[in-house]
Parts: sequence; structure tokens; C-alpha cells
Amino acid sequence: MEKAQNFRNKLQKISGIIQKNKYMSSISNGLAAVMPVLIGGAIFSLIDSLNLQIYQDFLVSTGLKTLTSLPAQVTTNVISIYVVFSIAYGLAESFKKSGFAAGIIAIMSFLIVTPMGKMEDQTMGISVQWLGAPGLFVAMLVAILVARVYVLVLDKEFYIKMPKGVPPTIEKSFAAIVPSMVIILIMLAIRGIFASTAYTSIHQFIFTIVQTPLTALGGSWPAFLICVAATSIFFFLGVHGPLVVYSVMGAIWTPLQIENMTAFQNGMDLPNLIVPAASLMIYAGIGGTGATIGLAFAMLRAKASRYKTLGKLTVVPSLFGINEPLIFGMPMVLNTKLIIPFVGMPLLGAGLSVVATSIGLLPPLRGIAPMGTPVVVSGFIDGGWKVALFQVLLIILSYVIYYPFFKKVDNQEYKQEIAGAENAEVTA
Amino acid sequence: MTKKILLVCAGGFSTSMLVEKMKEAAKKKELVVSIDACGESSLESYLPADVIMLGPQMGHAEEDVQEKVGGNIPVTVIDMMDYGMMDGEKVLATAMKMIGA
Repeated sequence: MEKAQNFRNKLQKISGIIQKNKYMSSISNGLAAVMPVLIGGAIFSLIDSLNLQIYQDFLVSTGLKTLTSLPAQVTTNVISIYVVFSIAYGLAESFKKSGFAAGIIAIMSFLIVTPMGKMEDQTMGISVQWLGAPGLFVAMLVAILVARVYVLVLDKEFYIKMPKGVPPTIEKSFAAIVPSMVIILIMLAIRGIFASTAYTSIHQFIFTIVQTPLTALGGSWPAFLICVAATSIFFFLGVHGPLVVYSVMGAIWTPLQIENMTAFQNGMDLPNLIVPAASLMIYAGIGGTGATIGLAFAMLRAKASRYKTLGKLTVVPSLFGINEPLIFGMPMVLNTKLIIPFVGMPLLGAGLSVVATSIGLLPPLRGIAPMGTPVVVSGFIDGGWKVALFQVLLIILSYVIYYPFFKKVDNQEYKQEIAGAENAEVTA
Repeated sequence: MTKKILLVCAGGFSTSMLVEKMKEAAKKKELVVSIDACGESSLESYLPADVIMLGPQMGHAEEDVQEKVGGNIPVTVIDMMDYGMMDGEKVLATAMKMIGA
């Protein structure tokens, strides 16, 4: 018992360290903070692509079509610019420095290392190629580098010291120049170095050497299934599974999601069969971590009154993927009697979805539905009626799988409740 | 002076449900308290408070939070079962006891 408790404490400590690590949290928070922009673009892409012929004809004939397809082009297609600001902002703020300054310097830096050229009409233009999903890793790296150097320069007080008598405001505005100049020099060096290699730009280098292999690995089905199991196992040990897994995998999963989003919004085939971030919500975690939706429904007709109450409490949030009351109230934590479905059902849902998507039965997910979208709606938004129907099947499956385990636990709890009531009567 | 209870959580969805239940319980008991919930990172902007209660999955943060508030505010981790059952009355009672302590 001691050993188990120690292990749990260690795990909580480690997950605490991961969550508190400034770099990791600035990446996850930075990515999360660009959600309003992404969701805006995503909703419009849905409006734009609704598959009704009459509706589409209407859009084209009124000229609205050019408008509805626009938001996606300025959001998902150029997401890296937003991300670079967002992450740099968060990181600088976590060091108690001006996030805004770090953020705009980060945008500048990102543009320094991004190829710019002359367009056909002789004006300068930036290809959006590296501003979207393919540029994400560079955006993260640049944001972190810039914010960190910015903080360092300020901490070491590397600024041009003005002679006495010069008003402090002047000294302050000169002080802001130094971090900016230092960073520009670094970025120019990066640009120059990579321009002379076969890769021609840091974007191409990172995309080929880092982003592509890492996302392939992180989005592979074994990695995905391991992560699914991990979210449940973490909760079993009392640690917030999805939070920890997402802190670690978020940077790798986001390009996959954005790539599918971009493809969908541009009417192209979706490149990634597995979008772990989306699949976790849509297939593996219906009702919350552990795919507990079936359990929540089963509890509505529990014998034990405590479970009945808990069921009524949890059933509506479960539809939105929230099941903390179940996790802590059942509890699922350290509950060996329910661990099999708790880990098994999400794995089943995830595994079936992977197989079904690879044989073409289900379309790849679009990555549009925001966290917390109710089940079935989320499936419809992200993949159409096939996915929504599959979700309904998974709900039924969840009920079937959880039921035998739940019945056992319910009977035991009920017996205890009766025994307790009898004791109370005796002593009364 | 109205006592202030601050709940700290990671996600915030479930904690906000608990806050609602606690407010109901407080009303029934005719207690005048202010109850709020926040994420760990925004803790400082929600101070001062008379008691800080952490969600069960925040157990690892207890020491850090105590350090952050400089030992003047009682900090406790909400009992897992009370949290799971969203037992507003029990959690409120625990909070009031800690404030009184």
C-alpha cells in the first residue's frame, strides 16, 4: 500500500512538473489561445461547404461564395503567424516580462526567416505555404527562442546606458531597441545559414527533418493508442490524464489537426487518417475520459441510491465529454473493479475508428469541432453523418461493456446501503 | 466582512458546477459568503481569499499554492468523494471549518 501511494505521489509530482514547465505550457496555452481565430474560420468553412446543391448554387449566384470561403484562408491557412505571437506572448509573460513586445518581435522574426519573393505583378509577396500548418514547428521554435532571448537580454540589462541627465523615458525607449536588435541579428544569421544549404530555408529544414517524422510518429496508430490508454491510466492514479498527455503531445498533434482542417477548408482530400486530438474527443472519449457515457446511462437505473444520484449528476455533462464527477465520485480513481472498461472501452473505440478509417469506411476527421461539443453533433461536424452514426454505435457499445462491471459494483454498494440502513435502525 | 472561498482547479468545468452547488447550500444555511473558481495559473489575480480549496487532481500543487499565498491562507485539497458527488454542503462545511480554524 505504501509503495502504491509513493508511486502515485511521484506520478503526481512528475505530471505537476510537466504542466508547470514554462516552455511546454506556453506552447499548449499559446495554441489554445488562437482557438477563437481557428474556430471562426472553421465555422465558416462549414457554412461554406454545406453539401446541399440548392444552397451551394445560391451561394455562387449571389456571389457570397467568395466571402464564405475567405475566413478559412486568413485563419487556418496562415495559422503560424497567430501561433508565433501567442506562444511568445505567453512565454514572456510567464517570466514576468512584456508579452506584447516579445510577441511582435516574434512575428517579425518569423517573417525574417520566411521566404519572400516577387509576385507576377512585381509586388513583394509571401507565399502562404509556410504560414499555415507546415510552418507550425518553426513558429513554435521561433516563438520560444525569441521570447527566451528577449527575457535574457532584459534580465542581463544589456541596454544602452544613457549618460546622466537624459530623461528616463528616452532611456526606456532606447532600452527596448537592444533586445530587438539582438534578435534580428540571430534571425538573420539563421536565415543566411539555411539559405546556403540545400534546404534553402529553416522552414523546409524543420519541416523535413523534424515536423514530418515527429508528426508521423506522434500520429501513428500505436502512439495514438498508447496515449488513449495513458489518459485513462493517469486518471486511475488520480492525475488529470488528458491534461498531461496533451501537454506533452499537443505540439505534435496540432499540425496534424491543422493540416486536415486546411485541406477540408480548401476542398482537398484530408491527408491524415488519424487526428489524435480530434479522435480522442470523438471516438475514444465519448462521455469523457474512459468513454464513460454508457456507465452514466447505466447508473440512472442503479439500485444503490448513491449511484443513482451520481448518474443523474453526470449524465448531462457526459454528453459534453465532462465526467469529473464520475471519476472522483464513483470513484474511478484506484478503482480496480472498473479499470477494465475504463481503459478498455476507449481503446476499443479508438482501435475500431483507426481500422474503419484506414479501410475507408469512415472519413478522416476534419479537426474542426471544438472541445466540449456534444457527442453526435461533434461527429457530424467533424466527419458527417457516418461519423455521427459511428458515435451512436460507440455509445451503445460503451453501455454494453460497462454494464456487467457496473452491475457487480452496484449490487455490492446496494448491499452495503441496506446493511447500513439496518444498522441505523437497530441503533435508533 | 464577507468570507471568500476560492476553488482552484485545472479544467474549470466541474469546479464551476461545484461552485453552484456550494452557493445553493450557502443560501439554504443563510450564510453570506462569496465563492469563486479559477485555474491555478490565474490564482494570484483572485486573491485575497479566506480559504483556498484545490480540486482532487491538483493534489500535487498543494505545496506550491501554500508557498504562493505565504502561509496566511489555509489551503486544502477537496475530498475526492465530496468533489465527485458535487456535495456542495460538505465542501462548504469544510471550507467554513478551515476559515474558523
